[in-house]
Amino acid sequence: MAQIVLEDLSKRFGDLLAVGDLALEIPHGSFVALLGPSGCGKTTTMNMISGLEQPTGGEIYFDGQPVSHLEPGQRNVGFVFQNYAIFAHMTVYDNLAFGLRVRKKGPTKEQLDEQVKKVADTVRLGAALERKAGRLSVNDMQKVALGRSMIVEPAIFLLDEPFSNLDAAFRAYMRAELKRIQHDVGQTMVYVTHDQVEAMSMADKIAVMNLGRLQQYGTPDEIYNRPANRFVANFVGSVLINLLPGRYETREGRSQVVPVGADARAIDVSDRRAAIEASPGRDGGLTLGIRPERIRLVAPDSSDATIRAKVSLVEPLGAKDIIHLSFDGQDVRAVGAPGSRPRIGDDVGLDFDAEAVHVIDDETGLVLR
Amino acid sequence: MAGVRLEGVTKRFGSVTALDEVSFQVEDGEFFAILGPPGAGKTTTLRTIVGLETPDEGDVYLDDERVTDMWPGDRDISIVFQNLALYPDKSVYGNLAFPLVQQKVAKSEIKRRVQATAEMLHIDHLLERKPGKLSGGERQRVALGRAMVREPRAYLFDEPISALDALLRLEMRTELKRLQRDLGRTLVYVTHDQVEAMSMADRIAILREGVIQQIDLPEGIYHQPVNRFVATVVGSPPMNFIPCTVAASDGALRVQHPLFDVAVSAHDAVLRSPLSDGMPCLLGIRPEDVRVGAAGSDALPATVYVSEPLGGETVVDLQLGNRIVKALAPPTVKVAQDDEVRVSLDLSRLHLFTDAGDAVLSAAGADVFALRPTAR
Repeated sequence: MAQIVLEDLSKRFGDLLAVGDLALEIPHGSFVALLGPSGCGKTTTMNMISGLEQPTGGEIYFDGQPVSHLEPGQRNVGFVFQNYAIFAHMTVYDNLAFGLRVRKKGPTKEQLDEQVKKVADTVRLGAALERKAGRLSVNDMQKVALGRSMIVEPAIFLLDEPFSNLDAAFRAYMRAELKRIQHDVGQTMVYVTHDQVEAMSMADKIAVMNLGRLQQYGTPDEIYNRPANRFVANFVGSVLINLLPGRYETREGRSQVVPVGADARAIDVSDRRAAIEASPGRDGGLTLGIRPERIRLVAPDSSDATIRAKVSLVEPLGAKDIIHLSFDGQDVRAVGAPGSRPRIGDDVGLDFDAEAVHVIDDETGLVLR
Repeated sequence: MAGVRLEGVTKRFGSVTALDEVSFQVEDGEFFAILGPPGAGKTTTLRTIVGLETPDEGDVYLDDERVTDMWPGDRDISIVFQNLALYPDKSVYGNLAFPLVQQKVAKSEIKRRVQATAEMLHIDHLLERKPGKLSGGERQRVALGRAMVREPRAYLFDEPISALDALLRLEMRTELKRLQRDLGRTLVYVTHDQVEAMSMADRIAILREGVIQQIDLPEGIYHQPVNRFVATVVGSPPMNFIPCTVAASDGALRVQHPLFDVAVSAHDAVLRSPLSDGMPCLLGIRPEDVRVGAAGSDALPATVYVSEPLGGETVVDLQLGNRIVKALAPPTVKVAQDDEVRVSLDLSRLHLFTDAGDAVLSAAGADVFALRPTAR
């Protein structure tokens, strides 16, 4: 177990700032995901934690001790990469045992057997111990790589997109397994991914990064339901968040925002009045972010309808439908239960709660609260 | 435009059979997806349609014209590959115009069609740019535009958006579907991404190791899969399979699990099935059809193994007996690891498979299964 603190961590490659002033505290035994698109600095951050890269500014602490002067081998971290590093010509058993055998004070045969079996069971390879690792499926090879890192019980476990070469069904299975394993073993785990589903589903906390900068650090619930800015709101969620231009007005003492477009109704945002009035976007330059699943489809003449739109496209996904609606030339997405499918061309009303509307300042990109 | 038909197409590469008696008929104007994992034979199928591969057996037809031996250039089919190749020294206009210049189309007509295509794909403001100055998404639009500027007999797309980043993929998915619908052109679309196939296609063919498994509407593939492979290929997370045992007596069939017992209606499909007393079998249930926190008399005890919040929904992994079953719950369902919960299965969405994975019966909305928890 170890706590990791990144203090104003920076990394420059020549003119390029890969990571800028990153401050992050990763508690003992927690599962933290570094999430962002390619080039956001997440892998560089991970490489600095492991010691593969030297920071050009700031410091890294493990349990309060600065470590940036330490070699990777002195840091007691374990890695799993996207491209599994295994010995193809060795059996699964020998691959798993390797990290323990190379130790100065190696384990006894019985201890080794016991630990290999335990790890093999954890990664569901108990039945494959005698097989050559190189002859396994891609899925099983990645399990070997995971097991190899686990067996040496590093204080910190670093994973860099370990599932991205696996097929979708197996990824869904491994997500649950890894989350359970991490919980049971209790090691501090830092997981790098560009896949928001992986980050959301597994991590205790997510650090969302973009262009080398930390955008938000919070629980999956906070990241999803209280995004700090437009980037986070847009990056997280499997159905794209709706972003509609809006304008601000005050009426009868209430603060409200109105989606720009034909006969839209006002949404009361008095609870955010101070933040909106202090923002540069209050005089035009606000965007309203609404998650598709927070939109209820109602009759077009319903008094609950905030805006009215026409069904333009339905995407059936099996478990749900994504319903595309045309509102004043803009594409608005809603989620529908399968079967209750509206017909293309139907007029519908869109109803959503004020609390589901994120008011975003266009100039700063910040969500106003 | 034209329909595309394959009749008993077999293609071998040495000792490997890439396509094994593949037959299907794509209707004129249809959006037809071929879905399968890498190595299933999807790309070979497209290459055979366009004429880059010659089948060892079987025939390819465009409408009713047999084109099996026709030179690719004479088939009048447009194909877009995953790895788009644009001419780097030509502008967007030059790239779009190229297929028409090749066909010696009149200059004014080229101009008109390039402009129309560019507007359709929202790249009309980029016509003077070179590909090097475009974003990945813009380049992909140009590649699509170059295929669409012609009016060929059919379009073939090979994973055209799988190299794009996630946000762009979402955007292109709806745009492609819209375009195809508006233009009404025949499109054969190859992908390994079930979401793309489900969301865009009129019909889907599922391909595995060169063999067509099922051709159906997206709803049919999803709710009435012919086997375990098809059931697993679509849906995320995939369908759960619960090992059970058959108990048959006097023509009545029951499926037994340590926690429950399912009576199966004497449906024709069941009577025809190879299931007999004592045989192992599988019950299939999709995650969204497993309800967490149910109260009714058919509720089963389960333990939360892991809870995976996705924001708009939560995947709850449940220990049901000695198996993990995934449930897809609304975000309002809050459960923590090791919680004891009650769950129920939506029996109108239950599937029965043989142990080998062949579908015996899918409820698909009908009332054919009845579940009773086993007294403990």
